[in-house]
Amino acid sequence: MSTLSVLLRQRARRDRWQLTIWIAGIGLLAVVSASAVAQTYGDYAGRENILRLAIANPSILMLRGTPQGGRLDAFVFFEIFTFLALLAGFMSTFLAVRHSRAEEESGRAEMIAATPAARTTPTVATLIHGFLANVVLGGVVALAFTAGRLDAYGSVVTGAAVAATGVCFLGVGLPAAQFMRTSRGANAVAAGAVGLAYVVRGLGDALGRPGADGIHLTPAWTSWLSPIGWGQQTGAYASNNLTPLLLSAALAAVCLVALFLLQAHRDSGASLLAGRAGRVNARGDLSGPLTLAWRLQLPTIIGWCIGGAATGLLAGTLSKLAEQAASADPTVTKVLRDMDQGGGGSVDQLLISVMFSLVGVLAAACSTQTVIRMRQEETAGTAELILTAPVDRTRWFGDYLLLGTAAIVLVLFSGAVVSSLSALAVGGDPARVGDSFAAAVAQLPAALVYLGVLALLFVLLPGLTISLGWTLVGIGVFLGFFGALLGVPEWARNLSPFTHTPVPVGGSTDWSDGAWMLVIALAAAAVAVAVMRQRELKPN
Amino acid sequence: MDTVIKTRNLVKRFGRVQALDGLDLKVSAGEVHGFLGPNGSGKSTTIRVLLGLARSSSGSAAVFGQDPWNDAVELHRRIGYVPGDVNLWPNLSGGEAIDLISRLRGGTADKAYYAARKSRLTEVFQFDPTKKGRTYSKGNRQKVALIAAFATPAELYILDEPTSGLDPIMEAVFNQEIAHAAAAGSTVLLSSHILSEVEQLCSRVTIIRAGRTVESGSLAELRHLTRTEISFAAEGISQEQLAHIPASHDLTVAAGRVRFSVGSDKINAVLPVLATLDVQGLTVNPPSLEELFLRHYGEELAADGVKATAR
Repeated sequence: MSTLSVLLRQRARRDRWQLTIWIAGIGLLAVVSASAVAQTYGDYAGRENILRLAIANPSILMLRGTPQGGRLDAFVFFEIFTFLALLAGFMSTFLAVRHSRAEEESGRAEMIAATPAARTTPTVATLIHGFLANVVLGGVVALAFTAGRLDAYGSVVTGAAVAATGVCFLGVGLPAAQFMRTSRGANAVAAGAVGLAYVVRGLGDALGRPGADGIHLTPAWTSWLSPIGWGQQTGAYASNNLTPLLLSAALAAVCLVALFLLQAHRDSGASLLAGRAGRVNARGDLSGPLTLAWRLQLPTIIGWCIGGAATGLLAGTLSKLAEQAASADPTVTKVLRDMDQGGGGSVDQLLISVMFSLVGVLAAACSTQTVIRMRQEETAGTAELILTAPVDRTRWFGDYLLLGTAAIVLVLFSGAVVSSLSALAVGGDPARVGDSFAAAVAQLPAALVYLGVLALLFVLLPGLTISLGWTLVGIGVFLGFFGALLGVPEWARNLSPFTHTPVPVGGSTDWSDGAWMLVIALAAAAVAVAVMRQRELKPN
Repeated sequence: MDTVIKTRNLVKRFGRVQALDGLDLKVSAGEVHGFLGPNGSGKSTTIRVLLGLARSSSGSAAVFGQDPWNDAVELHRRIGYVPGDVNLWPNLSGGEAIDLISRLRGGTADKAYYAARKSRLTEVFQFDPTKKGRTYSKGNRQKVALIAAFATPAELYILDEPTSGLDPIMEAVFNQEIAHAAAAGSTVLLSSHILSEVEQLCSRVTIIRAGRTVESGSLAELRHLTRTEISFAAEGISQEQLAHIPASHDLTVAAGRVRFSVGSDKINAVLPVLATLDVQGLTVNPPSLEELFLRHYGEELAADGVKATAR
């Protein structure tokens, strides 16, 4: 058996559950969205109406896609494709890093590289493995949409577009793993690239030029800078044009050439970014579990804060734009209000509130990562070094909760500050400053619920902390942001903390849900601390 | 307080796995106590219980007369610990990790004293503290834990296979540091499966197997249970003459040498016979822990197809 086929089998075996869940999950999302859209927006006129409203409002386009007419299947593509492509991107970058940098970091790559497989074959195996995973994903998506009674050829085009986006980000993830020294860093860079691609195409849609009939849109040039944008440009179910996917293939090819050039010049386990020598003595402030956790987690927190600031920038600058759009078309206000479940406020207030719900997701993700870091410290054995010193385990645990809270506040704060400043810079109403901060504060309870609940899971089911942590964020986003659109029953949507986030718009804001979430977060944290008192260190 | 560590009938279960099965361990103040056992026999689990990282399923454990689980923080002020498998923070330098642990242990209150100890230890262990944690080899990671443990004086040192990654020169340095600590009155619990190390350093030894104590006592007491190995040149000595050697076991003639072992308390009976045979190139190897060790695990090894004769 050739070394390549051995390594391919090993990868397939190792990922058998993980990839099955990714691919089945994305496929399920496709099926559900096709049928839900058909149910919710059954008639052509209704869909046309929605498209008109969407085109008039940049923030909806930002989160959806490019309107291309009122046909049901084209409408489904508009609603869900960018999200599917985003997921395909994440699946591919995580796969790339998992089988490259993470392996080198753990030292396992060295064992493999010492066999006749050497240094290159494992990379080739990862490449083929990732490519096949995306082909299967594309097939599943195509089948899912066809099963949802959408046009068969258009569904194939959609599947191809999803797969091409995934392959493209597989190509981005592998060189990222060459550059970065840690898998955490490589994941951050590669996943950041996926997020950036989503935002860049979002700008393209938001700033696009509406067609004469008001239900088509030509995206602005920025869409052409994004692999997700290329997928949208296929115009599946409308123009069914596969040519833009050549760009994805080209980018993937360029990345792969770079990858093999980089790898040819790099020692196994080394990074292309040289490490700096460290300090002989620690700075005075590195003296306890809290300062250590802060030091370890700071780069991650900065990363999420940049995300928060970038979203804040969009909120601040787009609010002005939305205001103009709204004065031209009053129905826009209604759509935004429906999205936000809030009471009467101005359009730009609403838009800020919508954008900050995204900052809230970032804050929740950041706090999730803090708890995950605590778990990683436990499994790596570094927590043991701390807990065998005179440090109480509940104090150690409590410090991570404190850090998680601080991280949430920092992410929300950076969003609010940048949103305020950018709103003022584009000549917006100074009242937007207060709106931004109110919107940020409103996100606090949901993010704290994530922190408290995951901390409780860490105490009770430590082995599941990492996988459940991200799953909970994913489910919360899905139910909270896409649930209503996809006709998910209300009780299920109510499970998501994001559904209950207060909307500080207009005169009377209902903060009661927020207060309840605070109570839940505090109760979860309190129980977690109490149980932690009796919990052993569980490295496995 | 005479007894520093005392466990009685200590049991620890992980799900269905019985890691400790009635372990008894007693370490008195001021002694360097060897804690021996093969891989997976429960040494590290015992240590985790003693440090309050794991809770015993039943039985009792006391360190300085206190409960290691409930009084962990208080006890840790008096304990220096070196884990068997040292893992460091990837983005902290070795020097930073040492400082962090020392500060947590409260060893840096007297800054000048701490700095002097740290720099002396860094030097004797030939350690480069400026590298990042992820770049250190196993031996160097172990040095971080050793320097951090010895930089702050402790009443009790718990060391879990502390030399498994060190080269022989560093092992010698380590032995020296243990001697320092013992001279200063500290108690040491040294888990190991390197018998020569334990023979060199320890005054008392506990040997465990499958989570149970199988032997415990001073080295002299334990040696009593073992055999001394004798060998000499075979030339000019007949089988008949060899048959006259009293109390000999496992006698073989191979590669021009006669080898056999004899109960350590029977040596005086053997020596006059050897004198009458006028043997050449006589070597007498004193009983080693290794032999004792192998005798206890012999059955296990034999079952695995390994020949279980000592040496």
